[in-house]
Parts: sequence; C-alpha cells; structure tokens
Amino acid sequence: MKLSRRGFLAFSGTVCGSLILGNDVEAKEGKYAVLIDLTKCDGCKDEPVPRCVKACRDYNKNRFPEPKKPIQPYWPRKTYEDWSDKREKIDTLTPYNWIFVQKANIEGNEINIPRRCMHCDNPPCVRECPFGALTKQAEGNSVISDKLCFGGAKCRDVCPWHIPQRQAGVGIYLQILPKYAGGGVMYKCDLCKDKIKKVEEPACVIACKERLGQQAVFTFGERKSIYELAYKKAKQEGLYIYGDKQNGGTSTLYLSKIPFEKIEKALKEKQERFQMPVNVENKIESKFNPIGKIVLSSGIISMIGAVIGALSSKKTKKEDETDEK
Amino acid sequence: MKNKIKRHPLIEIIEHWSIALSGIVLLFTGLGCLPLYKRYYITEIPGFGWTADFYNVTMVHYIASIVFVAGVIFHIFYHGLRKDFGLLPKKGDLSQSIKVIGSMIGIGKEPPSDKYLPEQRIAYVGIGLIILILTFTGIIKILKNLQWIVLSPTMESINTLIHTLTGFLFMLAFIVHVGTVLLFKSNWPLLKSMFTGWIEEEYVKHRHSIWYKKIKMH
Repeated sequence: MKLSRRGFLAFSGTVCGSLILGNDVEAKEGKYAVLIDLTKCDGCKDEPVPRCVKACRDYNKNRFPEPKKPIQPYWPRKTYEDWSDKREKIDTLTPYNWIFVQKANIEGNEINIPRRCMHCDNPPCVRECPFGALTKQAEGNSVISDKLCFGGAKCRDVCPWHIPQRQAGVGIYLQILPKYAGGGVMYKCDLCKDKIKKVEEPACVIACKERLGQQAVFTFGERKSIYELAYKKAKQEGLYIYGDKQNGGTSTLYLSKIPFEKIEKALKEKQERFQMPVNVENKIESKFNPIGKIVLSSGIISMIGAVIGALSSKKTKKEDETDEK
Repeated sequence: MKNKIKRHPLIEIIEHWSIALSGIVLLFTGLGCLPLYKRYYITEIPGFGWTADFYNVTMVHYIASIVFVAGVIFHIFYHGLRKDFGLLPKKGDLSQSIKVIGSMIGIGKEPPSDKYLPEQRIAYVGIGLIILILTFTGIIKILKNLQWIVLSPTMESINTLIHTLTGFLFMLAFIVHVGTVLLFKSNWPLLKSMFTGWIEEEYVKHRHSIWYKKIKMH
C-alpha cells in the first residue's frame, strides 16, 4: 500500500506539474510541412499517370497489401473491403493509391487538387486508434503501423477527410479472431516516413520537381518556413490558404486562386468521395479536452477531500479511543 | 427485530457505487471505442444510435471518468491515510480462498473469516491493480490529447495498448465480481449491505466469526 501511495503521489505531482507548465512543455507541431500550390498543378495532363501519383506508387509498392484469399466477410455482416483487384485505380484513394489528383470545375475553371493525408497537428486518427497503431512522428507525419493495425477503420471515421483506406485479408486480426473482430489493415500516405527521417524529400515532391522545376506544385521544407512562404505568397498573389486552420492546423497547406468555399461547394455537388470542408473543428480539442480538464480537476479536488476527511476522522477515532481509556 | 451490525459507513457505500456505476458506463463506452458496435448492429438498437459516432462515445467515456477518477483517488488517499488496510491480503489468503470458494459450491466447510473473506482480499488487490493501471493510462491519454505532455510515438502506442488490454481484464474482473455476488446465495447478504451498510448479526456470527469476536470484545 505504501508503495502505491508513494507512486500515486509522484503521479499526482506529474499531473500538477503538467498543469502548471501547460502548453509550453514541448512543441506540438511537427518539423516539416508541404505546400501544395494549386495554381501550378495541371494534373500532368500530357501524361498517363500524374507524376506525384506514379512516384508514390513506385516508392511504396513493396508495402502494398497482398491479401490471402478467399477473404472472409466481417461477420455478422456479409461485406468486406477488398481493393486488391482494383490496384490500377488512380483516380481515388485506395490501399494501393495513397495520393490522387482530384478534378473540379469551378465557374468554368478546371482545377486539379492532389489529395492525400493532411498530417494534422493533433490528428484524431492517432489519438483515437484503440490499438496504438497510429503514431504521430516528430517530423509531423502520422503513420499507420501495418503490424499493429486491426483494420477497424475507426481512423477513417474520425478523420475529417476520411483518408485512410482499408484492405481486408491482411494484418494481425487474421491471427486473433478473424471472423469476429478486425477487418484488415488501413493504408494512407505517411509522407515517405523513412525518407523524411533522413531529411530527404517525399517521393511525390521530387517527382513534381522533376517535371516542373522551379514551378513545382509541391514545396517540402521546415514547417516554419513553409508556413511563412504560404502566407507570403497568399498575400502577394492574392491566393487563399487551406490547411493552416482546418482541424486545428496541419502539415499540408494548399494555395488556390479560387476560394476554398467554392471548391468545397463544387466537390459537394459532385458528391465526391473525398470532400474539402472549410470549417473543420478539431473535435479532440473542442469536445474532449474541456472534459479532460474537469477529470484532472476532479481527481485533485477528490484527493484534497480525502486528505481532509481522513485527517478529521483520524482525530475523532483518537478522541474516541482516549475517551474509552 | 433481528440485531444488525454496521458493515459499511456511508462513505464506503458512496465510493463503491460511484466507482461501480461509472465503471459500467466506462466499460460500455470503452467497448464502443473499439470499432465493434456498428459491425454488430448495436448502433441500430433504439436508444443506442449515439454510439455510431466515436466522438459521442468517447465524450461519454470522458464524462464517466470524472466520477471514476474522483472515486479511485478518494479511495486511495482516504483509506491509505486512515490505514484502513483490512482489505489487503494476508498470509495464507490464497489457500483459505480456495476453501471459501469450495464451500460456496458445496465442497467442505468455510473457514472462519474476519470482516472480509480471504477471496475478497485477493479479488480486491486484483481489481484494484486493474483499476490503477486503467486510471493511470487513462489520465496519460487525457494529458496527451490536451497536448500537455507529448509522448514519443512508441510510448503513445504502448500506453494506448495497455489501456485497451487492461480494459478487457476489467471486463473479466467485473463479470467475476458481479457473478460471484449474484450466483451464490451465501453472498446475497453482502450485496444488501452494500446498499444499506448494515448486515445481520446472525450472518456475521456464522460467516465472519473472527470479526464478530472482535466486535464483542469492544
């Protein structure tokens, strides 16, 4: 008991310490960010596959799922998610295609939007994965571990853009209760995690540069300078920004001549699989965190109450005993 | 009227039920945090539609933990400082527990007990440990969601996994705890005393003879 009491005191100290130190304990944002300048993207119109898409598929091909067949449905349902016969699909996100170029027509203007994971600063997918399969790396990218992922697709549900894609018939769930729990492994862009750890640029960024040189759509760099660059360009060229405020901030910034409200509307009208909502609140911050603070306070108040209660009841106990004597 | 003996002061009753009831909500919403309810049509049961949204489920989980965390911390500090250690295991509790459980299913005679049965003391440590781990890892989760602490990717994974897996142990412990109370008639007076605080003298004399002697000595 003594040990656990001591342990708990140390723990309470940590909680109080965090309360005092607050937000400045460590930086929350990642090291890097990517700017995607839509004014420069023509969707590689003269090529069969956009360069960024091709580079991503080439670089990650060894990590694509190879499901065991036949694939069991998700009992008691009769469905399962299988993209293994649609590997060539490049016009949407799949477990085999982690970036795609979305087309939209806004008031006669054709625009091309490279779409992939935004890599949020406080990513709901990472915070909510019950298996700890998703992590946020120091570089700012969020990464799915295909070893830990159970394929419940909760990350896709909680993601404001529903980015992660599921492939059944692969992953750890096959070793546990394949019929009753789990559904495969989720896949999405991880910003070429191994490359950026070595301070190399992601494959899509390099490929775009190879085609367009100085006029490339993608700019990868230190987060601070990317943000500064985006704001500077937005001001100078009268462009709109997306990704700096959405979901509390991300490591992906889009620049566009057309307001994002209009892009949002166009994609909604087209009933696109992947939308671009402008107002995205980070629900971890807006819904959970205020209650989280109450939980911590209730713990501290209860501790104080317990100490006062115990000390006063000890006194009465002692008084009783002396009375008896 | 039969004589009754005070088994639980009001404060213990409040502790037990605040942890128990919030624990049930935490168990239900904890399971709901796994992507299971939609698949198993729970979300389609009238009144359970809210469980389809993970943000709702986690919010209710958070709200229930306000009560749970307060209850657990109060319990530790209040009884720790008062040195109420009657529920901590003693030497020989393991073998005595086997005898108690044996007698519940009609094998052998139950050994005399103090205020708590030996198997209760062992169960207390078991469930206590589970609750401590859940509370600790749960608070870490709150802190990292607040971004007041920034965990390394590996630590965040480990903490999450421990919380989820210990949650399953909690479910198991909960089933065993409720099961032994409800299934064995010999335990029913204990359930009643968890509501009223009082227990019949005859019951104490018969089942908790060591405690009974202590009371009579005073």
